[in-house]
Amino acid sequence: MAISIQPYRQEHEPAVEEFNRRLQRLSGDPDLVFSKTAIPRWLAPANHNPVWNEFFVAIEGSSVRGAYGLKQEMVVVRGKGTHRVACYHHPLSEGIIDRSYASVGALLARDALARQPLLYALGMGGYERPLPKMLKALAFSLTPIPFYFRVMHPAKFLREMQALRQARWRAVLMDVAAATGTGWLALKAAQRMSMLRGRPRDFVADLAVEKVAAFSEWADDLWDQAKDNVSFSAVRDANTLRLLYPTQVRPDQVTSTRSLRVNRNGVAIGWAIVGERRKDPKFGHMRVGSIVDCWANPENAASIVQAANQSLEKDGVDLIVSNQSHHVWCRAFEKAGFLKGPSTFIFAASKQLTELLQPLGQNRSSFHITRADGDGLPANF
Amino acid sequence: MASDLFGVPAERITADSSPQTLEAWDSIQHLNLVLAVEEKFGVQLSPEEIEQMKSIGETVKLVESKLQATPR
Repeated sequence: MAISIQPYRQEHEPAVEEFNRRLQRLSGDPDLVFSKTAIPRWLAPANHNPVWNEFFVAIEGSSVRGAYGLKQEMVVVRGKGTHRVACYHHPLSEGIIDRSYASVGALLARDALARQPLLYALGMGGYERPLPKMLKALAFSLTPIPFYFRVMHPAKFLREMQALRQARWRAVLMDVAAATGTGWLALKAAQRMSMLRGRPRDFVADLAVEKVAAFSEWADDLWDQAKDNVSFSAVRDANTLRLLYPTQVRPDQVTSTRSLRVNRNGVAIGWAIVGERRKDPKFGHMRVGSIVDCWANPENAASIVQAANQSLEKDGVDLIVSNQSHHVWCRAFEKAGFLKGPSTFIFAASKQLTELLQPLGQNRSSFHITRADGDGLPANF
Repeated sequence: MASDLFGVPAERITADSSPQTLEAWDSIQHLNLVLAVEEKFGVQLSPEEIEQMKSIGETVKLVESKLQATPR
């Protein structure tokens, strides 16, 4: 029977639930699950909203054999104005568990490209994963988004950082380093060196940081002031930010972020979104804070990072992480003592989007892409 | 083409070769097969045709019918 890809409607929900059950049972991976509801819980389409999510399902008879999401949004490209693009996210195929459906992955990706040629994907867990390999075959350009981390409690980091402890010899060394204090010394020294490589530390005593209930005109002013400093960014005006970071969080959402406005002399100079990540086996029992998103003029980037860092430090997190692509923000994180780690967070741009972003070699370091971009917070928190 | 894509000797590729019989024939290699067919034979494959490529034999049949239908 032929497979057709259609918008996900309420009548498909039982078949999606059955699809999820098959994927989880046969793959053993509890994360292989598509939205149980046809109406997205995050960024549901609504009149005049500039950003929204929409879902599609691959139907064969009465069964669902695949699904994916598109996050429709506006981006600004330096010198080329504002464009609507879409983020391709959560593609799932029956081919994961049944090889006779090996064609579904290609069908989903091509369907998404047909609906929005200016397409991108973000994250994906590294170059060796199936999705980036598939996108590369479809002539997407792939760019890693740098990963930054700052260890607040070195002994706990050394004992709990499961991602680094997979080799037994390394786990033993990390235990020794934690017990003797040499790990503490090494990490603090590395973070101090990172700070010294930056420019002299900004004076942050004149900054006032406040948790804001909503983004309003002040955020529009910041967006207008700073957008010419980026070669590519999702629109971050007040209207969009209110949708991305709603203050009213439903009980079924696990997001726990807060929006910080940073003021100098009573004037907003930038903002940051910070929060504590949900528990993740690769971080063991550590409390992991994240600087999810941020925005400011380049001269204020370091102040925003320091303010966000201090806010999470006060929460008592063991580790702070962030993904940043813009060279100014990368420098600001280094200046605040963050170390650069290996990144599995990849930005993949379709052929047409890549053409829009040319000259890529020159523009790439001025993309403003953070952890909040792409499929956004619900997936990452 | 199939031998290169799936990393097996050409003599092991038959009309019945499929994702069930060739270890390397996964979603990514299926896409690569689609792209390789399109490039080599100068054809565009529709979603329905991509789905028809369930074995090497069916892929060959599909390409032959596409080529016959293409004005030369």
